[in-house]
Amino acid sequence: MTESSLPVTMPPSTSAPPAPTLWSAVARVFELSLGQMLWSRRTIFMAVVLGAPVVLAIVVRIVDASGVTPLRVNGERVGGTTIFGVLLWWLYVRFVVPVLGVFYGTALIADEVEDKTITYLFTRPVPRRAVLIGKYLAYVVCTSLVVLPSLMIVFFLVVPLRDIGPSFLTLLTDLGLLAFGLAVYGALFALVGTVNKRPLVMGLVFAFGFEQVAMLMPGYVRRFTIVYYLQGLVPHAIPSEGITSLLASVFSEVPSAGTCLFWLTFILVGTLALAARAVERREYVLSQ
Amino acid sequence: MTVIAVEHLSKWYGQVSGLNDVTVTVPSGITGLLGPNGSGKSTFMKLITGQLKPSQGSVRVLDEPIWGNHALYRRIGFCPEQDAFYDRMTGLDWVTALVRLSGVSANDAPGVAARALEAVDLVDAGSKKIGAYSKGMRQRVKLAQAIALDPDLLVLDEPLNGMDPIMRRRTIELIRTWARAGRSVLVSSHVLHEIEALTANILVINNGRIVAEGNVHQIRELIDEHPHTVFIRARESRALARALLADDGVVSVRFEPGAVVIETAKPDAFYTRLTEMAARGEAGAIEEVTSLDDNLQAVFKYLVKS
Repeated sequence: MTESSLPVTMPPSTSAPPAPTLWSAVARVFELSLGQMLWSRRTIFMAVVLGAPVVLAIVVRIVDASGVTPLRVNGERVGGTTIFGVLLWWLYVRFVVPVLGVFYGTALIADEVEDKTITYLFTRPVPRRAVLIGKYLAYVVCTSLVVLPSLMIVFFLVVPLRDIGPSFLTLLTDLGLLAFGLAVYGALFALVGTVNKRPLVMGLVFAFGFEQVAMLMPGYVRRFTIVYYLQGLVPHAIPSEGITSLLASVFSEVPSAGTCLFWLTFILVGTLALAARAVERREYVLSQ
Repeated sequence: MTVIAVEHLSKWYGQVSGLNDVTVTVPSGITGLLGPNGSGKSTFMKLITGQLKPSQGSVRVLDEPIWGNHALYRRIGFCPEQDAFYDRMTGLDWVTALVRLSGVSANDAPGVAARALEAVDLVDAGSKKIGAYSKGMRQRVKLAQAIALDPDLLVLDEPLNGMDPIMRRRTIELIRTWARAGRSVLVSSHVLHEIEALTANILVINNGRIVAEGNVHQIRELIDEHPHTVFIRARESRALARALLADDGVVSVRFEPGAVVIETAKPDAFYTRLTEMAARGEAGAIEEVTSLDDNLQAVFKYLVKS
């Protein structure tokens, strides 16, 4: 075959488009990353895990419908609203949200480095911080799309029909709380992921070591946790009946909702800004 | 005109030296960067595409410093060596997404991406997921994302690795046509034959140092003295080996699962024959051709000593 029989079609000359602005670049990275995240094995696994409380709620509903009290503490009947409050706090806020924050937040950049696809993002005419912020926003949306429907289903299954109306606004607060918690944990662990070589270990130690211990300790240490400020927003969702008094003791000495919102926002913005700065300055060496 | 200028450029990875006090200028047109695996080619390319920060020295690309200068990236197209993709995306979606990141509007991006895929002969496969692509197709889709926006400087890290002979020749012609239109290309390879088909202007790199630069013919004879090893993945590898054994340059033949590894003393004649056979469909389909570089090490050692 001669070269003349090998026609070559060149792409027509395209004048270089202006580089996208920061927020335009963020939107484009978000668009690219969201689809990747939603259908990742990690998300599918988490969606399956979040099916567990739904199954539990179905069991509670069936037991309740059959006339049997699903749960008693010290001989006292625990109502559906209280069960929902317990699930919200202990399962979603204390476990699911930090887990998602650790696994997704630390992986925002680390996954791209490990998969060696970071090259394509970092050789585009966009600031590196746009890559981080775009992926972070995709994380918030992706995890919210997994967690919030699970909580809503649990709510409608566990809370008695007569209480759904009065509790609905509380549900919206709870959903906002979870989304905000995901955002704050995600920002913190995004920072850990950009500056640390073993971000997953660090993240797990923080969320399930330091935070757990600090919350049991008296004094100021707990103020260096995220969960301390999240709990200041939770009591809205906790009904004041029976077992709730036990929970109330856990939530003693919580700061006001305004203070909690301020510090959570401060942590979110501060850690995300530091992560963005680290990504701009750091070089990522891909293994050969 | 100088498109790349580096001065006393060094890069260390901890205690390991990736590049060592390199001072070189790359003119416009096509320049080949030749060196064995681990010689510092990829480090050099990552430095001039702003992915790595120099440990020492300076890098200027298109007359501007590159590190942290993301606006300059819109004038550079980069095809990396690594075989890494978002495998669940189709080729068209992937190139479209990357083109969007370069600033092209949502309306224009699919058209720009489609034209780039057309240039590398991947239009038909554009709607397939990249995970289902062959090695050669993956190389081509990487090339497509690099050329899509008609950059002033194209940086290609081992772009021909794994391509079949026909596509290899076609890609060489694409790059040459590209340069004839007044743009610049820096292309790396560990195969002199490939570089020579592209340009006479080469930089030879080994152990993180530029050991030779200038005209390719000056080191041509040195390379030819050493047998050249080629890995060929083919559907009918035994029939292919039988056909190639007729060449007097073939020194040895070794079989691997679904492939044959041939050592030849006459690489030019060998590649020409292989391309002809592929074009005629002799001895079945050839899926992948990769040049192994073990024997080239001796040449680079010689260059370093001289």
